[in-house]
Amino acid sequence: MTGAALDGLKVADFSWVVAGPLVGRALADFGATVVRVESSTRVETARMMQPFYDGQPGAENSALYGTCNAGKLGVTLDLKSGQGRAVARDLVRWADVIVESYAPGQMAKWGLDYDTVRADNPSLIMLSTSLMGQSGPWAKLAGYGNIGASLSGYQDLVGWADRPPIGPFGPYTDYVGPRFSLIVLLATLDQRRRTGEGCYLDVAQSEAGVLLLSPQLADYFDRGTVAQRRGNADERFAPHGVFACRPSDSADRFAAIAVCTDEQWAELADEVGGPVLAADPRYSTASDRLAAAADLEQVIAAWAADLSAEDVQARLQRRGVSAHVCASSADWSRDPQLAHRGHLRAMPHPTFGTATVEGPRYLLSEAPGVVRRPAPELGQDNEYVLRTLLGYSDVAYDRLVADGVLV
Amino acid sequence: MNGGAAVVGPLSGYRVLDLTDERGLLAGRLLADLGADVVQVEPPGGSAARLAAPRSETTSYTWDTFAANKRGIAVDLITDGGRHLIRRLAMRADFLVESSGPGVLAALGLGWSDLHEVNPELVYGTLTAFGHDGPKAGYAESDLVLWAAGGPLQPNRDGARPPLRMSVEHAYLNAAADLAGGMLIAHHHRVRTGRGQLVDVSVQASLGVDTLGRVLADSVGDANPEWAALVSPTTRTDQSGSGSGTSSQLKKWSCKDGLVEFHLAMGPAVGGFTNNFFRWMHDEGACPERVVAWDWRALPALVEAGEFDDSDMQEARALTAAFLEHRSKAEILDAAIRYRLLCIGINDTAYLAASEQLGARDYFATVGEGDRARTMPARWVSGSVPLIDLRRPAPQVGEHTAEVVGEWLGDTPALVDSGSRGAAS
Repeated sequence: MTGAALDGLKVADFSWVVAGPLVGRALADFGATVVRVESSTRVETARMMQPFYDGQPGAENSALYGTCNAGKLGVTLDLKSGQGRAVARDLVRWADVIVESYAPGQMAKWGLDYDTVRADNPSLIMLSTSLMGQSGPWAKLAGYGNIGASLSGYQDLVGWADRPPIGPFGPYTDYVGPRFSLIVLLATLDQRRRTGEGCYLDVAQSEAGVLLLSPQLADYFDRGTVAQRRGNADERFAPHGVFACRPSDSADRFAAIAVCTDEQWAELADEVGGPVLAADPRYSTASDRLAAAADLEQVIAAWAADLSAEDVQARLQRRGVSAHVCASSADWSRDPQLAHRGHLRAMPHPTFGTATVEGPRYLLSEAPGVVRRPAPELGQDNEYVLRTLLGYSDVAYDRLVADGVLV
Repeated sequence: MNGGAAVVGPLSGYRVLDLTDERGLLAGRLLADLGADVVQVEPPGGSAARLAAPRSETTSYTWDTFAANKRGIAVDLITDGGRHLIRRLAMRADFLVESSGPGVLAALGLGWSDLHEVNPELVYGTLTAFGHDGPKAGYAESDLVLWAAGGPLQPNRDGARPPLRMSVEHAYLNAAADLAGGMLIAHHHRVRTGRGQLVDVSVQASLGVDTLGRVLADSVGDANPEWAALVSPTTRTDQSGSGSGTSSQLKKWSCKDGLVEFHLAMGPAVGGFTNNFFRWMHDEGACPERVVAWDWRALPALVEAGEFDDSDMQEARALTAAFLEHRSKAEILDAAIRYRLLCIGINDTAYLAASEQLGARDYFATVGEGDRARTMPARWVSGSVPLIDLRRPAPQVGEHTAEVVGEWLGDTPALVDSGSRGAAS
């Protein structure tokens, strides 16, 4: 009766890879109709990225694409052709929201820039998300999130103090950017509800990334402190690290352990070294332990090496010490807590039997998110979108098919 | 409202009661930036977030930045009067956000069901490490441990050493941003129905997205997503533009004044960027014809046809290394824009602070005066209408107690219950 939070919201999704598509994915989970526009001749990057169903690379097989685009309708369109661009313009007239993540300037080449589309649809909200933003001297800088991670300082902040940095896993700003995009998009949708006014939004993934370094930047501006990488060490607490455990079937296994209070230290010390270590006055305060971090972590490393990672987690958590298996994909997919939250969502899939995606990251008590269908195969919904949503006649639709526009 | 110039921003007019500590401060900050009136609640002795790193002898920069743009009230939740005050404020709030841990506020009579009863329209956002219930809800937690439990830690290794987290605490920040988004989704539902709801975010579940789908590998039967091993073009090729399937060290190169991030990308979608790079080298006289002739878009096919092998890859890498060694980050940036390269210097926070791009986009702002003045990232989104408004520094303990109670409840300060007393500084 009440429907989903975003029921009736119409979204034209001209995004690709990760930072753009995740926005529409969230909107679709909560009821929006999201039409993802793609090309089957220039297949978007995420479709060729692992992990793949059954380990087989292929444009329909990417689980990354699958999780970024679940719940959307899929249309393929040749935007190089005038007919294709005309369809895109119709889609934009239909939509409440456009999300796009092409290089700045690309949408204008297709006649789909904000000034043009707003003439057709004044209450439209258009969100552009790019690496550097739409303006400024570096706006044209090409790149994916690993470049974004360099430009927003993250590549330098992951690594051992005695080695060059390695950076975070994957394109970090692609994970941060869409979170910020969603927030501002939902806020301006509410404003539109009240005022009838649309707007243009320019989210730079690198700027979203830097916002999360606000404390480090404020520290720099105030005192000139440059943030440093320091392995897994913490500024305040020790022992604090990731420890190798007994390998499992030749696979490396690790557990993360962080001692954040005196009580946790007493418990960990008792578990690892017995009452003698727990009572050792050299380690009784946080600053004592910080100074002795290398020695303490050596003791823990020797203890953990003979145990399974699961055992380390269980023994320490039983004592109230923060510790966890360093979760592999297999650990994660069997994690009882994630299962308890219903985080993984499985649904029927025409090719694979079952598609598995991540569920919404926000559990709403009254109107929870629903993943209504797997991500579209290329061009899967061409007919439905053009004929049913956009109202094209049989003749017009057949003409577009015959002219090779819907590819 | 807010005792100053009219607040702009799409969320102006909405009230947020913010009970978070350092784990959840960011959610309210983001809503405040978009115009909401966010009131940060602290105990009279001050929030634990005032001790969060990084900090100087006198201040926490985490507090200074993620509590910025909020007003502050001091309320002692241990007292009946304090809890009563929170309930009254919650009746006037549109949103409440908290990160106290599983069951903590419920034990004080301030849980979701308690406040839903007094304000059925309230959107109540809660952020916990693992969740409010379930087998790990009671686990001891920390940033590192959540990074391990959520998936991003395990694959991020430098050779044989253990996996590495970022040297800044980000697990909760990712989840706090999710919480702000989830609360706004619930807001749209409230607009339709008149009813608020609970929005429940777990840090562990939030972090799967920070693995680029890797956490799904097991579920979909990709037994061998050996990201770190995919460096040889003769095995399954990494066709991502970011080189997410390539070990991180192979994307780091020395240049004249530091390090460079550059992935020798291949495949139809992204190989063109690598072609551009070799064209730049060729223009500078540093790349033989034989090498500039390789089409990295078609490389997977060339490998298959036996026309490109590991020794060719080694040659490409050696030429690249020798070339970049004599270039500065500034020269590389310039070339990246001119030639469209996926190649950029690795930068630290000092570099960010001086960034020409961020400066041109008016990204940083200074709020506060005297000792309280702080310069920080501010304009995280731009647009055709006013969006971000960074208007005040992080509050002092109890700085706005009387003002907020007066505005939200219509009480005069003398009538304010004892829960907030003793906090005025």
